[in-house]
Amino acid sequence: MSKLHESKKQYDDIEIPTELQQVVSKSIQNAKKEQSRKMPSFKKFGIGFVAAAAIFIASVNINPALAQSLSTVPILGSIVQVISIQEITIDEDTYNADLKVPNVTGLTNKELENSLNEKYIAENKALYESFQKEMEAQKEVGGGHLGVVSTYEVVTDTDEILSISRYEANIVGSSSTTMRTDTIDKKNEVLITLPSLFKDDQGYIETISTYIKGEMTKQMAEDEMNMYWIASEEEIGFESIRPDQTFSITADHKLTISFDKYEVAPGYMGVITFEIPTDVIKDELISDYYIK
Amino acid sequence: MTKSEKFKLVENYIIENQNAHYRLAYSYVKNKESALDIIQDSILKALRSIDSLEQIGYLKTWFYRILINTSIDFIHKNKRMIVVEDEVLDFHLPSHEMDVPDIDLYEAIDHLTPRQKTLIILRFFEDMKIEDIAATLGVNQNTIKTRLYAALRKLRTNMEEKVKV
Repeated sequence: MSKLHESKKQYDDIEIPTELQQVVSKSIQNAKKEQSRKMPSFKKFGIGFVAAAAIFIASVNINPALAQSLSTVPILGSIVQVISIQEITIDEDTYNADLKVPNVTGLTNKELENSLNEKYIAENKALYESFQKEMEAQKEVGGGHLGVVSTYEVVTDTDEILSISRYEANIVGSSSTTMRTDTIDKKNEVLITLPSLFKDDQGYIETISTYIKGEMTKQMAEDEMNMYWIASEEEIGFESIRPDQTFSITADHKLTISFDKYEVAPGYMGVITFEIPTDVIKDELISDYYIK
Repeated sequence: MTKSEKFKLVENYIIENQNAHYRLAYSYVKNKESALDIIQDSILKALRSIDSLEQIGYLKTWFYRILINTSIDFIHKNKRMIVVEDEVLDFHLPSHEMDVPDIDLYEAIDHLTPRQKTLIILRFFEDMKIEDIAATLGVNQNTIKTRLYAALRKLRTNMEEKVKV
């Protein structure tokens, strides 16, 4: 039955219609919608500007060319700068890694500068090592597709604040994306943490979490394409933000809170960012120095 | 593993292997629209019954079982009105047969019963192991072997008959 090999070729040559991808993702979405009818916490909502931002972020991660073009734009603050110091690229047929390591320069507080830079290097080193390990494992079982992209973006760069987001995207068929952001006070040269913005350690977590849950519910009601997982008695999902939740401060002094892909919503929602209206948190804030 | 994590894994698997799934569905119905219908149905069935997947290690066999059953159901339901695309129709017209002296094994496979076809496709085109096929179809390994040989024998007979013609 050596002819079977020729037949296999014919089988492998069965043309894949362009509609397939759409049919697949539509079917998955329909299945999700059905689930949402059954489970109150599996609700629906619409793509607002937040989701649009998430798509942009996802596209930065998935599209190396776009990521590249973004990272080569020089980002010059007054004195403090962020530059790429290291780029690691692996390009072997089905295995692709493209890692860019940011480096902060120009701070007089060298301790802060070094600790940030060391952290960035360590993050990428860990990413590179786990990628290599996975690549070896994949090769052993006969190969597969594997990709990892890490890049960074200066989200905010004003006279007072520098905010750098690093993205990691693991691509194995579909992709997962994580985002970490550091926000630095350029004048006082300190790293801003989320708890440091608020008077007490608990109040803000509750206030922000309640706001986000309300926003999720609202967005789901507005558009059934939107879906978030909110915790309830019978479902696991978003309960509250963590003190080390990814956050950033925008150029117009607004606080944003971000969630990784899959953290609080299905994969197609991507990385999700909520801008928290200052009115909601103004009673909890220590001052209106950073957030207005 | 939480349900949402499981859902995500299955979702990824479906997206990642959509081409292989499509080829399998297509080889039963031989036309694009029906194959896409089968894919759509299978995904819905799978995600609806995600609780029936007890161990994530069985993800592939679990999904293939759904896909194969959906395909075979589709054939049974549409037995009397299978849509045939023009090129396939042409291929079967007598005038055309004159131009094609080679006996096409691939075509001969189409003359098997759907269940026999399943075995040939899984074993030789999808390179599945006998034990995985057994798990997918929920039949023991010896039965699979016996049925596979029967299918191969039938293929051979079909082709020899054709050669005589």
